Amino acid sequence: MVSPGALRVVRCGGSALRGARAVFSADSKQVGRGYLLCASGDFVKVYSVSTEETLRLMGGHADLVTGIQLNPHNHMQLYSSSLDGTIKLWDFMDGIPIKTFTVGSKLLALYTLASAEDSVFVVIPKKGERDTFQLVSVKLTKGAGQDLEAKELSVVLDGVGASMKHIAFGREGAYVVSVKDVTLQVYFFKRTLLNRFSLSTMKTKGGDNRFSCVVCHPTEDCIATGHADGKIRLWRNFHHRKEYTYSTLHWHHDIVMDLAFSMEGTRLLSGGVESVLVQWHNESSCQKDFLPRLGSPIESISMSSDGVLCCTLHTDNRITIINSNLRFSRSIQGLIKSRDVKTGLVVDPRTKALVLNGEPGHLQFYSLQSDQQLFSLDIVQRQYIHQAGLKQSDLVKVAFSAQGTWLATVEESEEVTDPELQLKLWFYNEETQSFQLNTRINTPHDNHITDMCFRDMDELGDDSLILVTTGRDCVFKVWVMVEDTDPEAQQSVSWSCDFVGSYHNYQATNCCFSEDGSLLAISFEETVTVWDSLTWDLKCTFCHPPGNIRNICFGRLTCSKYLIGATDYGFLCCWNLLTCALEWSAHLNVVVLQPDPLSEHIAAVSWLSKESSLFVFKPNEPRPIYIQRNLCKEKILLAAFVPRDEPEMISSEKYLWLRKSQLFFLTDTQELMTLSRKSLEERLTPSSKQLAVEESLPVTPFSLLLGKHRHQQAQEDIDLGKPVVHNKQEQASPAVKELLHTPAHVLPSASFLCTIFINSLLISKENKSAEEVADEVEMESEKAEDDSDEEDVTAMEQEDTSHMELLGDVTCKLSKSQEKELRKIRKTDYSWISAF
Amino acid sequence: PRGARLALARTDGAVEVYNFAANYFQEKVIPGHEARSVESLCWAAGDRLFGAGLGGDITEYDLSRLSAARGVDGGGGPIWSMAANGTGTQLAIGCEDGSVKIFQVVPGGIQFERNLDRRKGRVLCLSWHPSDTHIVAGSIDFFRVIDVTSGQTVQRIMVNHHVEKAKRECVVWAIALLSSGTVVSADSFGRVQFWDWEQGTLAESHTVSTSAALSLAVSEKEDSIIVGTSTGSTYQLQLLPVKLGGLEKRWVRTKPFQFHSHDVRAVAHSPTALISGGLDAQLVIRPLMEKIQKKGYDAVLRKFTFPHRRLVSCARKARLLLFQFSQYLELWRLGSTEETGKDGEVLPLCRMPEHLVQLKSKGPEHIYCSCVSPCGTWVGYSTASRFHLYRVRCDGDGVSLRKV
Repeated sequence: MVSPGALRVVRCGGSALRGARAVFSADSKQVGRGYLLCASGDFVKVYSVSTEETLRLMGGHADLVTGIQLNPHNHMQLYSSSLDGTIKLWDFMDGIPIKTFTVGSKLLALYTLASAEDSVFVVIPKKGERDTFQLVSVKLTKGAGQDLEAKELSVVLDGVGASMKHIAFGREGAYVVSVKDVTLQVYFFKRTLLNRFSLSTMKTKGGDNRFSCVVCHPTEDCIATGHADGKIRLWRNFHHRKEYTYSTLHWHHDIVMDLAFSMEGTRLLSGGVESVLVQWHNESSCQKDFLPRLGSPIESISMSSDGVLCCTLHTDNRITIINSNLRFSRSIQGLIKSRDVKTGLVVDPRTKALVLNGEPGHLQFYSLQSDQQLFSLDIVQRQYIHQAGLKQSDLVKVAFSAQGTWLATVEESEEVTDPELQLKLWFYNEETQSFQLNTRINTPHDNHITDMCFRDMDELGDDSLILVTTGRDCVFKVWVMVEDTDPEAQQSVSWSCDFVGSYHNYQATNCCFSEDGSLLAISFEETVTVWDSLTWDLKCTFCHPPGNIRNICFGRLTCSKYLIGATDYGFLCCWNLLTCALEWSAHLNVVVLQPDPLSEHIAAVSWLSKESSLFVFKPNEPRPIYIQRNLCKEKILLAAFVPRDEPEMISSEKYLWLRKSQLFFLTDTQELMTLSRKSLEERLTPSSKQLAVEESLPVTPFSLLLGKHRHQQAQEDIDLGKPVVHNKQEQASPAVKELLHTPAHVLPSASFLCTIFINSLLISKENKSAEEVADEVEMESEKAEDDSDEEDVTAMEQEDTSHMELLGDVTCKLSKSQEKELRKIRKTDYSWISAF
Repeated sequence: PRGARLALARTDGAVEVYNFAANYFQEKVIPGHEARSVESLCWAAGDRLFGAGLGGDITEYDLSRLSAARGVDGGGGPIWSMAANGTGTQLAIGCEDGSVKIFQVVPGGIQFERNLDRRKGRVLCLSWHPSDTHIVAGSIDFFRVIDVTSGQTVQRIMVNHHVEKAKRECVVWAIALLSSGTVVSADSFGRVQFWDWEQGTLAESHTVSTSAALSLAVSEKEDSIIVGTSTGSTYQLQLLPVKLGGLEKRWVRTKPFQFHSHDVRAVAHSPTALISGGLDAQLVIRPLMEKIQKKGYDAVLRKFTFPHRRLVSCARKARLLLFQFSQYLELWRLGSTEETGKDGEVLPLCRMPEHLVQLKSKGPEHIYCSCVSPCGTWVGYSTASRFHLYRVRCDGDGVSLRKV
């Protein structure tokens, strides 16, 4: 276990929802009371059906959750199974684990039956044989205590498929069906009869008889199976070994991913890679309805127990909730899994959302706080056709300007030899609150674009905005905004090419602006070149052979005289721009190099012998500040620093780099991870509790009144220009809310509550002072680290303290002081460079 | 198909009899006649085969002499359908004028017995109840159930409800009356519907096809139905228990088969196989695997594409081929090649095959058999009643025929 205060890796999004079919809670018809339970990585997520919010995250399994089922005898409880060999029983209303049963071997799927008194069914690998699995029933012993052993296993079926879709239990648990490859097995519990049916393995006429999934009719003896060639077979009379019969439904052109019967069994839903949900009526092939354009291939389908809702899980980790009349109701989307994150992790300066590839051709804006997709921007603006081998355009690069007003995107078709390139520039429209296409440049480069960046100039206005693109056609291009002279043009500005530069006909691979925007570093294969951004003169070059440059970045703030580069051959180099010499270098196979925009820290992630390690360092000292070896098993592909809304209080010097921004990683399985000091429970509970309260609250006239009142108050605050007070009230509101939402009969006496209530309304002094203290500590530490601009900083510090006393506002002042600091350092930077 | 024999009629009026016991051999062929078309065939009174057609006659076939024996005028215009009752003693015919007539099968012929209730609309299909008490008759837009003893229509059910284009007429192409009192109808909207005729209610409806369902046959146990459609596919419907061991049963469409390229005009259900024939002139016997105990010759899907009789005769010396069609003969001279090659190779021809002569037969009767002599000078053919012999003379390019 990680000691308190130490950093731990926390998964925070993008976990595959594909472990198991989602489960609706039993009472989903009551508005606001319905839950959707979903296995997500090692967790079980609880969503609200009506508001799509993640209510809570139930963690406790040490490995992937493979199956979740409601307890058939208590609909407020949930069984979950995991690869770590345990079955857990949860109370999902409160999110607490009730019992843990240790089975001992990997559990690959979980089934419950109402007729089975105290046992559940799981799929486990057969001992001694690889890739053979068996269905066993596990007797869950009744005993006191949380952790129990469940060792009473009895084998039901041998040679079953490993996926949970390959087994289904029939009407009232009378029989169990298992499919594997081309065989279907039916086992009747009462008669202990096992029937086995095989289809031909021949792939005639493009047919492929392999089973992909199986479900049973809820009231009749009918089995529906999905096949790899898109056929659905409905089996009947399967208690006869000979006179069994089946009929075929065929609409899907590719594999049927999942099937689901409605509660009465009159409708059958099927889904596959076409991202179309098909509803078959009365098992007839002529009557069917479609719900098309669900966005991405359907992975699994589940029905609520009352048949009102159904939900589909998609391969890109989206959940779609669908009404019983096959109308799209709502979708729950976290981090959308795209085929390939080519854009990298980019932070939108405006919303602080992570921006990366979403649906094909789309850019997703993912909110880290709410684990929800904010919106999806269609960049390619072409219909995506799901077909193997079809070359489609996709988004490969994305860049934001410093304020988030401009967005540059590059899309290219998948063809390797002759990519169809398009550079698009989007302007953020304040009125519509969305990005508008401003300029489209066809074939900006003759070959793939390798990198792209804006010059980050906050205060110089739009005129200084420059976009640099580097391409494999051995040039880099500089794009600037020009006023449109054409009076008929809709927009006043557009972008055009200003400068084309190259270096010895090497391929340009990376580009990076220095913090003040005066210098541009571009790597050409083995060489890093530094250009003056005003005159576009080549200033100097650096080289660290052998090996091509993989990443480059400038130092920030006090370290802005350094340029960091990582090479293919596993070297991390730091060059001093003043002396034009190598300051230090380290042998490290760096995969990701990511500077923190708000501090001088740089994070480097290395990949060595199947584990990723994280190194955080400052460019001015070759020794890393922080090392975490074995960050995770998966390869980390991308990382990003996301600025925090409020600086976190961090007392330990070791974790100072996490103060202003948080580091997020994306692994090759597209799981988003972060480093957190808080334990899991701490991180989750407040928000989820609050949500739960809000959730269960019926809309009463009183609450409406209260809401209105509160709203008015907030508005008044804004009118008065007192964001401070507003903030405080926001913070206090949970306490008030809790007080108001608790039923009267369980409330303590009013005299007891009074103090809490009044306290909550007061602007708390203690909290602020603590932050102040932390802040001062921080300042001092910064001072200690700072060696070049000591005087400046101390002067500024004085200024800061005076500010602090004057305003008494922490957050506001901090950002101001930061700005000042930045400006100061920038000025000094200039002086250095001119001297140089 | 009574016993082990299957009779089928072709559109040219020919009737063929297949013997299932003898490896599905085409046992007998009764050649067609220009004036005779066969809409319906049925076996009655043991091994007697009757046919009725749009000519308005009911014909009994003499299976030993391979000819149409006796014809009786139906007296109601073209006959669209005919059915024999369970015991094989009575025949019912459905006529163009909407009448259903009962004929008594007597030794040496048939005898008109009575007319049943006549309604407007041609009677396209007929079916007896297994207990011979009722007849169900399908026509356009409706079918009716007739009590045989009283001759009155006891139920008339419209079938054209619940269709989107109500103006289009709904033709009941095939109908069957099951012993449980269920009427099964196949109509031109591609539906197979199950009706309770006493209540006049629709029990189940299966849309098997987007085009018309043309033919229907019920197995003897009444647990399986085969339906032929105009797209060339046939479907099997089975009566299956809803729950294992339960008493409630339901008809379920199970297997589709696509053996034909055109309309399936006729289907039959033998205990172990589904038999279908259609406009593509093929007869297909599809065995039901689950009904066959052991793998063998019976368990093979068979299509009758190859003629069982000699339709081509060859004059070896003269290198001539004689092709027999139903109403004419064609004489061809073979092409020749100068090159040699192995088996299976296609050799280039130096002389193309040549169509020498087409010989049309006279009279309404169709050709039964034909032959050409080895020297190529004599051509003979026969119909049911006559024999013709011709002498062929080839002089250079010209060919002349002389009747002997």
